[in-house]
Amino acid sequence: MTSTLPEKLASLLGNHGVVPANRLAEYSIDGLVPASVVQPTSREAIAEVLRWAAAEKLAVSPRGGGTQMSLGNTPSKLDLVMDLSKYHRLLDYQPADLTATVEAGITLEAFQRELAQGGNLASLEAPMADRATIGGILAANSSGPLRHSYGPARDWLIGISIVGPDGGETKAGGKVVKNVTGYDLNKLYTGSLGTLGVIVEATFKLAPFPTDSGALVAVFPSMQTAMDEARNLLAQIYSPQGVHIVNALTAEKLDLPFNVPTDGACVMAFCSGRSRAVQRRLEESATLLLERNASQVERLDEPSGAALLRRLTDLGWSAATTPQLSLKINVSPSLVPKAIAWHQNSGIDPPGILADAGFGSVRLFWWGEEALPISGVIEAIVRLRAIAQESGGSVVVEHCPLPAKAQVDVWGDTSVEVELMRRIKHAFDPLGTLNPGRFMGRL
Amino acid sequence: MVTAKFIQQLGAIVGAEDVISHPEDLLVYEYDGSVDRSMPGAVVFPTCTEEVSRVLALAHREGVPVVGRGSGTGLSGGAIAPEGGIQIAFTKMNHILEVDTENRTATIEPGVVNLDLDNYVRKFGMRYAPDPSSQKACSLGGNIAENAGGPHCLAYGTTTNHVLGMEVVLEDGTVMNLGGPTRETPGYDLRGVFVGSEGTFGVATKIMVRLLPLPEMVKTFLGIFPDIDTACTAVSAIIGHGIVPAALEMIDALSIKAVQSVTDAGYPADAGAVLLVELEGLKEEVEDVTKEVESALWDTGARDVRIAEDPADREKLWVGRKTAFGAFGTIAPNYYLVDGVVPRTRLAQVMRKVSEVSEKYRITIANVFHAGDGNLHPCMLFDEREPGVSERAAQAAQELMEYCVGVGGTLSGEHGIGLEKKEYMPLVFNEADLDQMRKVRDAFAPSNRMNPGKIFPDGVSYHAGSHRAAPGMYI
Repeated sequence: MTSTLPEKLASLLGNHGVVPANRLAEYSIDGLVPASVVQPTSREAIAEVLRWAAAEKLAVSPRGGGTQMSLGNTPSKLDLVMDLSKYHRLLDYQPADLTATVEAGITLEAFQRELAQGGNLASLEAPMADRATIGGILAANSSGPLRHSYGPARDWLIGISIVGPDGGETKAGGKVVKNVTGYDLNKLYTGSLGTLGVIVEATFKLAPFPTDSGALVAVFPSMQTAMDEARNLLAQIYSPQGVHIVNALTAEKLDLPFNVPTDGACVMAFCSGRSRAVQRRLEESATLLLERNASQVERLDEPSGAALLRRLTDLGWSAATTPQLSLKINVSPSLVPKAIAWHQNSGIDPPGILADAGFGSVRLFWWGEEALPISGVIEAIVRLRAIAQESGGSVVVEHCPLPAKAQVDVWGDTSVEVELMRRIKHAFDPLGTLNPGRFMGRL
Repeated sequence: MVTAKFIQQLGAIVGAEDVISHPEDLLVYEYDGSVDRSMPGAVVFPTCTEEVSRVLALAHREGVPVVGRGSGTGLSGGAIAPEGGIQIAFTKMNHILEVDTENRTATIEPGVVNLDLDNYVRKFGMRYAPDPSSQKACSLGGNIAENAGGPHCLAYGTTTNHVLGMEVVLEDGTVMNLGGPTRETPGYDLRGVFVGSEGTFGVATKIMVRLLPLPEMVKTFLGIFPDIDTACTAVSAIIGHGIVPAALEMIDALSIKAVQSVTDAGYPADAGAVLLVELEGLKEEVEDVTKEVESALWDTGARDVRIAEDPADREKLWVGRKTAFGAFGTIAPNYYLVDGVVPRTRLAQVMRKVSEVSEKYRITIANVFHAGDGNLHPCMLFDEREPGVSERAAQAAQELMEYCVGVGGTLSGEHGIGLEKKEYMPLVFNEADLDQMRKVRDAFAPSNRMNPGKIFPDGVSYHAGSHRAAPGMYI
């Protein structure tokens, strides 16, 4: 390199597009501090930086709001962080077509605010919606408490543009709600953690803004009874759109309107949609939970219901609730009642539990002040993974002490599909420029 | 090349009775529901994954291209075998392996017919939502290859939204699981990109799909309009009001006449167009939305609105929609169909273009389509014995596709690109876009021996030179 990295970048982007050196530590990933951070505001700048970085054999990590940076394995190399949060315009919004197109750096909250003006909503959920960007949400495949009914982001993305490591922009999908023209690369990019290209533009199909919403919170004497009643609730025709179970430890973090006994558990149910239907869902669900021995059922009308929904979405990612270790177990919904006990006898402290009974996931959080023993953490991950995989499930490490991260793949598994993923990664990013080492199989 | 020895080797894998190679036996495998045709060298009928894997491994060693085939109802030539290739027909792998009522999933073999699955799971209070009009005949394996749609995909999404996991076999015989019983799996979404890959990545040998509970209430009604323009305005008004019905289908005057000539669907013979609207959900939701849809229909100029009073009434309205394409046989012996999609607010404009094109090329066009999705199906009706008419139909189709793309739409909503539309891909995607797609195909199928010659423009046509009525007249 003839000039220093920041100098070269300033010549490409102007000084305002390069983050000052004293702020680089804010952009570190797993303790690795990048040599530079850029904040491009145009597609041309994104392309130019990528082209140049590839020529210089630099490793680039695309970044949105930086809300889920603990996801992924520790990068094998980190030179440049490309912060897309300044690339954030709403490009097209057609309320009458129920579609909208955005630049990748727009935050979910800003996007929803614009859509609400036209009476619509993007069926996307993500922790820290005021900072989480659309590009980041897609890359991390983020979802939220209503995912059981509305599906994850992949079900709503209809078009995408990416800039590849060679600086070339390509697109897939389009702006229509139904499309089989060419392969559905929307799916491939969603959840690829920025390893195949930098997402620059996304088009979504939208939903009408719900006219009403609300929540229920019910207390049960044990996790098992709460689990059974949640599953029972989900089987009803009037079932809420999201049903979640937490133990007492997790309930404490959610700031519920009452105490949950130490061995007890709490069922939370969320409804949204048209008013009469929402009211019926809430009423009948409350009646059922009371009949089934809930010791207490509280109904949270707005804005309390929405506030709880947000706290639940942010759980494990907000500064106040970030754990030392958190694991997400993906299983068939019917196995959720069993999966909440799989961690037992792992030798490390009892964790906080949050189960999504409809979608089929269990998140475990270790919040304690005292540092967890690394060997115990690794053993717990390996053990859980073995049990989950036997039932066709998987375990993803969301947060983890760094020494443990060095020894386990946070995505799990090195099955036969990883070889195929490796071929795809190699074809899209032959030099390993984008987020090297962070994806499954340390791709 | 398909030699006598190769056919013998296939027989050694699946049993000699499950391989056909005599030209007269192969005739029905020469075409699907589209206009293209090509004779496969042989067709094999495996009964299990292991046989499929061994057939693919053998073909791979011998350099023989392979195409999977479900029921042959596809409308874009996806199942047509390339010169010197073989077909794997999944007719004998047609078992429903498991229905899991607790998790609302079904595991099936690829040859299971779409409607058979739906009928079966309805006994358990569930349903399989994607409902292509060919659902009486088309297979789930074919649905996966094409990412098939159907009227109810408006509310529930196309096939891709309903597939959880697949066991697939790649070109060299490798068996692999994509996705699984969980809604989310770590790693690249290989399941998501496999669905809709038109058989070019591999073949699915086992499929796990999501099922939905049956709704508490269903309401079906018919908006009767003086002309198609007004009916298009009603579609925009409904979607524009933030209402996404379970289904929202348009049937034009010509199609109404054709339908009513073969069955009484209760469509008024003198209507300019009808809209078939279906609402589903909780009783309260359906009741409230019904009122809003009804007023949207009246406000935009409906001449009448009829609500199906009972299941028999509802069935009748749907029979009309689903038999429309069969009924076109009463108008002309041949058809050619366009599957363009446009933003829903452009429907009226695009339908005016369809009628212009009909006049310009002197060709009859009937329209029955998924209006709520903006997915058109202009269907050109003609008699191929009339000199020059086939060429005019092809030109008309091209002009319509170009127009759809021009207003922000695309080539295909649910039928796939296949052979039929591959040369039009550059209208939508540039070379770099197509290259990204080729990279994924090459990762799955490095030798490009799975259904080669489809999707990507290459100037090679399997076109038989004349359009003919295909056996699977469904859209």
